[in-house]
This record gives sequence, C-alpha cells and structure tokens, in this order.
Amino acid sequence: MLKIRKFFRYDNIGLVFVLPAFIYMLVFVGYPIISNIILSFQNVTVKNLVAGSKEFVGLKNYQDLFQDTVFVNAIFNTLLFTVSCLVIQFIIGFALAVFFNQNFRLSKAIRGLLMMPWMIPITVTGLIFKFIFGTDVGVLNFALQSMGLIQNNIEWLTTPGTAMLAVIFANIWIGIPFNMILISTGLTTIPQELYESASIDGAGKLQKFIRITVPLLKPTIESVLILGFIYTFKVFDLVYVMTSGGPVNSTHMLSTYSYKLSFEMFKYSMGSAVANVLFLILLGVSMLYLRTTTKEEA
Amino acid sequence: MKLKKVTSLVMATMLVTMTLTGCGGAAAQESTEASAEEATEASAEESQVEEAATTEEMAEEASASGDVTIWYYWENESHQKALDEMIQGYNESQSNVSVEAKYVPFADFKKQLSIGASAGELPDLVILDNPDHASYASMGIFADLTGKFDVSNYYEGPVGSCTYDSKLYGVPFGSNCLALYYNKEMMDAAGATVPTTWDELKETASMLTTDKVSGLAFCSLQNEEGTFNFLPWVWSTGETSYTIDTEGGIQALTYVKELIDSGAMSKECINWTQGDVMNQFISGNVAMMINGPWQVPTMRAEAPDLKWEVALIPQYSQYASGLGGENYGVIAGGNEAGALDFLGYATADEQVKFMMNTMGYISSDKTIAETQFTDDAVMKLFVEQMQYAQPRGPLAEWPDVSDAISLAFNQVITGAATPEDAAKTAQGTIDSIVQ
Amino acid sequence: MGDEKIISGKKNFILSGVSVLILMGLLFPLFWIIVTSLKTEQEIFQIPPTLFPKIINLKSYAAQLGTGDFNMFRSFANSMIIALGSMVLAVVLAVPASYGIAKYNFKGRKVMLLGFMVTQMLPVSVLLTPMFIMFRNMHTYNTPIAAILADTTIGIPFSVLILKNYFASIPKELEEAAYIDGCNRFTAFVRVLIPIAKPGVIVCAIFSFLYAWGDLAYGMTFIIDQQKRPITAGIFNFMGQYGTKWSYLTAFAVVTIIPVALIFIFMQKYIISGMTSGAVKG
Repeated sequence: MLKIRKFFRYDNIGLVFVLPAFIYMLVFVGYPIISNIILSFQNVTVKNLVAGSKEFVGLKNYQDLFQDTVFVNAIFNTLLFTVSCLVIQFIIGFALAVFFNQNFRLSKAIRGLLMMPWMIPITVTGLIFKFIFGTDVGVLNFALQSMGLIQNNIEWLTTPGTAMLAVIFANIWIGIPFNMILISTGLTTIPQELYESASIDGAGKLQKFIRITVPLLKPTIESVLILGFIYTFKVFDLVYVMTSGGPVNSTHMLSTYSYKLSFEMFKYSMGSAVANVLFLILLGVSMLYLRTTTKEEA
Repeated sequence: MKLKKVTSLVMATMLVTMTLTGCGGAAAQESTEASAEEATEASAEESQVEEAATTEEMAEEASASGDVTIWYYWENESHQKALDEMIQGYNESQSNVSVEAKYVPFADFKKQLSIGASAGELPDLVILDNPDHASYASMGIFADLTGKFDVSNYYEGPVGSCTYDSKLYGVPFGSNCLALYYNKEMMDAAGATVPTTWDELKETASMLTTDKVSGLAFCSLQNEEGTFNFLPWVWSTGETSYTIDTEGGIQALTYVKELIDSGAMSKECINWTQGDVMNQFISGNVAMMINGPWQVPTMRAEAPDLKWEVALIPQYSQYASGLGGENYGVIAGGNEAGALDFLGYATADEQVKFMMNTMGYISSDKTIAETQFTDDAVMKLFVEQMQYAQPRGPLAEWPDVSDAISLAFNQVITGAATPEDAAKTAQGTIDSIVQ
Repeated sequence: MGDEKIISGKKNFILSGVSVLILMGLLFPLFWIIVTSLKTEQEIFQIPPTLFPKIINLKSYAAQLGTGDFNMFRSFANSMIIALGSMVLAVVLAVPASYGIAKYNFKGRKVMLLGFMVTQMLPVSVLLTPMFIMFRNMHTYNTPIAAILADTTIGIPFSVLILKNYFASIPKELEEAAYIDGCNRFTAFVRVLIPIAKPGVIVCAIFSFLYAWGDLAYGMTFIIDQQKRPITAGIFNFMGQYGTKWSYLTAFAVVTIIPVALIFIFMQKYIISGMTSGAVKG
C-alpha cells in the first residue's frame, strides 16, 4: 500500500497523463518499427514474400547498400534537401510570423489565408510545381524570359542540379505556413508586460527581439525545428511526384529510394534497410536534441 | 539513454503487438487460411488440397459459386463502364457466382498487391499489366492455369507474358502496342513523306522541327513506361532486352542521343508520360510521336480538327514495337473455381469483341484481332504493328532489368554518360540478374 | 504579442499593402491551379503559357461530380469522418500527454518524449504492410476506423511536441492557486490549464485535422472500397496509367480545397481568437 502511494507521489502522476497516448503509439507504430528492423536483416524478395523460408542474412543488406552509389547519393541528397529547406523556410516563416503579429487591419485574415497551401493534397502540389517548372510550357521560364532575366529556357527538371533546386523550392513553399503558424502561436505566449517594461527601460525594437522574443520562444523554436527536421527528412510524395528521383537518380531521397526498392523492384528487405538508415539518422539527431534540452532544464 | 530502458521498451512493444498481430511470422500461413475462409461456400475441398484439383472439370462444375472480387486499375471511365457491363452480364447469366470489380489505382497497384500478398488479403482475380505478371507468378500468388484455357490461337507475346517456368499462370486480357503518329498538316507543309527507316525518321524529324515544334517525342521516363517506349529501338537492331552492350544496343542509344542533340526531340521527354506526349502532340508542340492505340479515343474527342495519321515505327534492320496490355491472373487459394467460371465467360468471342472495341484494345486472340477493325484505318495499322510487338520479359526480376535500361537511356539523354558507358553499366546490372 | 493596439492610418495602409503582396506571391501556385483548371487540355500545353484562359472551360468541373464509382460528395463525407475522428482522438490523447511531460518530472520522461519522436522516423511506405496486417487482425481493414487510427499516429506526436511548450510556459502559481480553490490534479488540469493552453490546443487540432485530411497513403491502402475512400483518393481518377489529365486534376484540387477553405474562413474568428486570446498574461 505504501509502495503504491509512494509511486503516486507528485511526479509519477504525470505517467497517468502520458501513458494513454504513449501506449497508443507503441501499439500502432511500435510493431511496424520492429517488424521493419527484422525485415531488413532477412532476404525477402518477390520469390519468398508469400511462402518459403525467410533466412536471416545479418548485415548483408546494409553492406550491399553502401556499395550502391544511388543509396550513398540519396543520403547526401536527403541531408542537403533537409538542411536547405529547414533553414530557408524557418527564416521566412519566422519573418512572416513577426510581420503578421503586428495588429494592422488585414493581418489576421491574411495570416489565415496563408494556411491554404496546407489544404492542398501534396500530390497535387507536386504536380502543379512540376508544371510550373516545365521547360517549354512552364510559367516560371515564361516569367523569367518576359522579365529579361534569362535568354533561353532553363531545363529545370531535366538537369540534375536544377531539379534539386526545384524540389527544394516546392517543399519550402509547403513548409512556410507550418513555421509561420507555430511561431505565431508561440509569440502569443510571451507576456505583453515584458515588452512594455523593456520599453520603459529604453530598449529598442531589435534589442527587444533579441532579449525577449528569441529566448522566450526557444522551446517553440526547438520543437518547430526538430519536427521540421523529421518531417522534411522523410519527404516522399513531393519528390516522388515531381521527379521520381530523376533525372538519372539525382534527386533520390532515402524515402523515395526505399519505396522504389520495395514496391517497384520487389526488393522488400533492401527497401526496409534503406528506411532503417533514415530512421537511425533521425534517431541520432533527436537524441542530440534531447540531450541539449535536458542540460538546459537541469 | 540507458540501454536497459530501451530494451525494456522494445520488449513491451513486442509483447503488446504480438497479441494483436498473432506474431508476424505466421502471417503467411494465416493468409491462405483467411482467404480460404472468405471463399467459404466456394470451394472448401479445392483450396484445402490444391493438387487434388487435377480433376478440373469436376472441381469447376462442383464448386463454382460464391463471390469473386476483381482488382483492376483502369481509371478511364469508358474502360470501367465496359468492365462493369461485362460483369453485370455475367452475374445475370447465372446465379451461383457473383462478381464484383474493385478499382485500385495504377500508381498503387503493385504496392497494394505486394501488401495484400504479405498480409493474405487478396482478391480472387486481378487484371494486371503484362510485364509484372512474371514477378507475381514467381511470388506464388497465381493459380496454375495450364491446360484450362486454350491459348493456341493467341499472339505469342501475350501468352509468353503469362507464362512462368513453362506453366500458364494467366490469360491475356487484351493487347496494344506502339506505333508512330504524325501530324499530317505539318508533314505536308514541310513536304516530307512518311519515314520508314531510322535515317528517314531523323531527317523528317529535323525537317519538322521549328523553334516552337519538336520533330519527334516519345515518353522517356526513368521507369517501366519509359522502357516500354525505348526498347523498340533496341529490338529493331535485332538485339534483345538483355543484350544492351552490343553494337545494336549502343546504336539505339546513340540514335536517341542524336535526336536529342539535333534538337529534333525535346529533352523534356524524360519527364513526360505517354499521356503528356499525346497532349504535346495534340497541342501542336510535337510533330510526330510514338504512342499507343488507347490514346485514339481521347485524341478524337479532344482535338477533332487535328489531322493525324499513324504508321509503323521506322526500322533499323527489322520492325519492332512494344507489347502492352493486361492479363487476367487467378489468385491461388481464393475462389479459384468462381474466378475460372467467370474467365470462361469473359474470354468467349462475344465478350472479347465487346471489351476490345469499347476500350480501343486489340484482342490477344489473332482471329478476333484480324477481323476486329474493318473500316478504321488507324486501328488496322495497330493490328498490323502487333505482329512486330515483343513482350518485356517474361522474367521475375524484370523490374531490375527495366530499371537498368531506363537508367541507361536517361543517362544518355541528359548527357550524364556516353552511349557506350551507359550500355556497359546497364549490361553489368543485367548480367548480374540474368545468368 | 507585439503591439496590442490596432495600427491605423498610413502605417496600416502600408502594412496591409505589403501583406497583400506577400499573399499574392505565396499563393501564386494556388492561382495557377485555378487558372489551369479553367483551361482546355490543349491550352494547358500551349507554348508560351497563357496567364488567363482564352475561353473559360468548365467541363473539368462538371466532370468532378461523377467519374465511375467516384462520388465527390460521398468521398467528402468520408474524409470528414476520418479527419474529424482522427482530430478528436489525437487531441484527447495528446493534450494530457503533453501536460504530463511538461509538468511532471517522472522517471523515463525523456525516453517517452524520444519515443513519441521515434514513431515519426520511418517513412510511411514501410509502415504500410505491418499496419495492414494489424488492422486486418483487428477487423478494421476496409473501414474508416483503420484510417482514423493510422492518421492519429501522425497527429499525436506532433501535438505532444508542440503542446508541451505551452504547458511548460504556464506558471506553477496558477496551478497552485487552483489547488487552493479545491481542485485536484485532474480538475485543475481540465478547468484551469486547458483553457490557458487553448491556443496551442486549437493549433494542434487544426494540424491533426489537416494531416488526416491530406493523407493519401493510409486511406488508399487500408480502405479498398472506392465508396469508402477519402476524397484525396479521387486524384487517381485523373492521374492514371497513361498519364495525367491536367485540367481535371486541377479542377479536382480546387473543389477539394474550397470546402476546407470555407470552413477555415467561417471559423477564422474562433480559430484566431482561440489562438491569441488564451495567452498567458503576466
């Protein structure tokens, strides 16, 4: 009895609040994660998916992967893609959040409208950007030419380097509202009085921003960046629709390559192994994030 | 993170989920049981002892009952309606078996079949793309139909695509192939004639190219669709899908490179589906294209004033074309008897004619195909082209081969590799798959 | 909040002008979707592109009403059920969880926080098969429940990570005051803390809804009957084996955005006030 009561002392009551959600996630995503890890150590292909022995091959799939240039490039591509998107969409999102936090007449209405990109299914977004970036029929080349910025049409999606630029651009477009809204709501938690007393102390706008806004927003900023990192790192639909990893595999991300191996080439175990590499990288980054936040709180 | 905690977490997860999933490993066995259950009334005896079904006639007659579910992927409304009509006709013709068709989008079809196969949740009959047939046959999800259907009168290609390990694992549904479309007005204006050889095609394409119009286009996506459009060039030199690093294979890659380099073909072809190519053609941005007969109804509806004709794909040393189309595959362990009964109905002359004509397909049955189109010059040309159409595969690892080939021509088109190097790389991959 | 008082006069005019420019720039792709949906298939492929359709072509919109088995209104209702169900489930589970993580320093707290993040680290494609097997064994395959359960796995971790910051920023004194007023931990949570964290809760609800609304992979894979599928599945009617029907596809996009946009516009007052009014003062 005493033991139970001791368990339910203040801090452990928190468990009661957390457990329902945690168990839910454990059930619905825990099993897939484990089954995926097991699959990546087997040799499941089209020939033994349904019947037959699924022998364990140890690390062979992973060894094979690191011999595969498409895979190695995919790691690099995914990192490049994630970091570029994250930095740019965060800066723009932050700027917009601060801008729309001013109380002018249209601020709220327009901030609401800027959520619109989120309501379009990503598949459609991908297709429309594919069209905008088209060489001859694309409106971007048309606009650039009309403004006299380019002489000849740029072959955006058919040249390796520019294809990457195009998918990054499209993803930033989707990411801006995400950053903006979360930072906007974060801004609302900063007590107004702090700014007022800072004004009395003679602080300028920039000082207020650096001394008050940024430090108080820190938890929100960290959450937005880590979530953004996770979501961007496993980007799939957008790239799949816009380039399918092409031209010549130059925009393959870990997720698109994993999909291709599993469902287009029927190499299920290899596809799982690619997904697990993606998983491990994200796990590393997240643990790093948790470590830094732990230190601060302690 | 303490290791202990993580391990206990993992253990907990496994415990919870094991109870839910009944242990992942058993899924395969479960699958057959589950699908058998579904076909309860259908064929308890048959699915339990599959080999015992050697007494085919008996089994068929005794147990053709229950529900039959079909998966198909045609998003085209007229295709869907035709299928529905045929199914309705069948359901009304007898009272034992009830057939229902479910639409699974093309982009999701392979994925859904793979997932369904590992979870044991498959339909009883599928209508699938012919190059994928061998892969699924090797997966073991299809019932052996050897001796149950007379396919002696069918074109070789379609039957070949249903065959795996010299057993028949499906029945051809209908076929199509690729041919050369050309814009008649542009051709006349340039004073060009219909090309029949590679050299003539290149020359004509250059003549038709202006600053707004590309002479020629064909889908060159880095996927199966692109491979389908590229392989006829290889085959035309007398080489096969598996011999790319040869004089002919390099010749084909070089030919495509020359078309791109001369500006007669747009590099954007690597991003165009066959549908996009057709749209470019009817919008007047492309003077000639390689495409299939399924585009004909759309083109006639969308651009009724456009004057265009079709011709055989120009040859290097022999005519060649890609064989497209679908096959029926009966799922092993499903309601096989019911599915077979329906197939008997669906492959009868009358039904085949109805389906082929409504869908703009060519029957895989030679006799029907030859009498199918009497006053449609375009479709007649496609029937003629059919005799030069070659299948992709059949090979369980076809997706790998196809991937190597599509990478090769994409490297050449984008200038990432020379035809020689691209052919060499592709051959390396192919050789590691096909001994 | 920056400045509480409403800006007026010249400054208001300039800021509003700038914001309209930002809006136009950012929503250009949306404009392009609408323009494309009004063109004929031939005009879409015209070189150079036309900024406005030469002839307004409404055929693509008429085609949305029915294509084969696809029924716009039914799919819309399906999507609503899935998105609302998933939103409610995510909020009900995530709000207490984020409060627990923010306010209690129990053992294993960090592991759990990492656990929530871990669940988001695999691409959806490799989750499909195991989830499928699970839903089949639970007899929820081919029902909206499967899609709701799966979509909620995106909403929960997201909400927990965002909401924990809100709860963390609420001063302990407020909670203690509630205890003095006779609340226990649970009633204090419901009566005092949730109302304060309302902006965060609303944002999480919106995102959970939108994640589920935009989901395609789960809805397609776990629901095989066209009649039960969410509206996003309609995309495939125009994106098929032999290519994309651009005019229909873009019209489809417009038609799917409109109802959601309308909901947002009508609810904007509540959403915005919810997002801003709950702010902690002092």
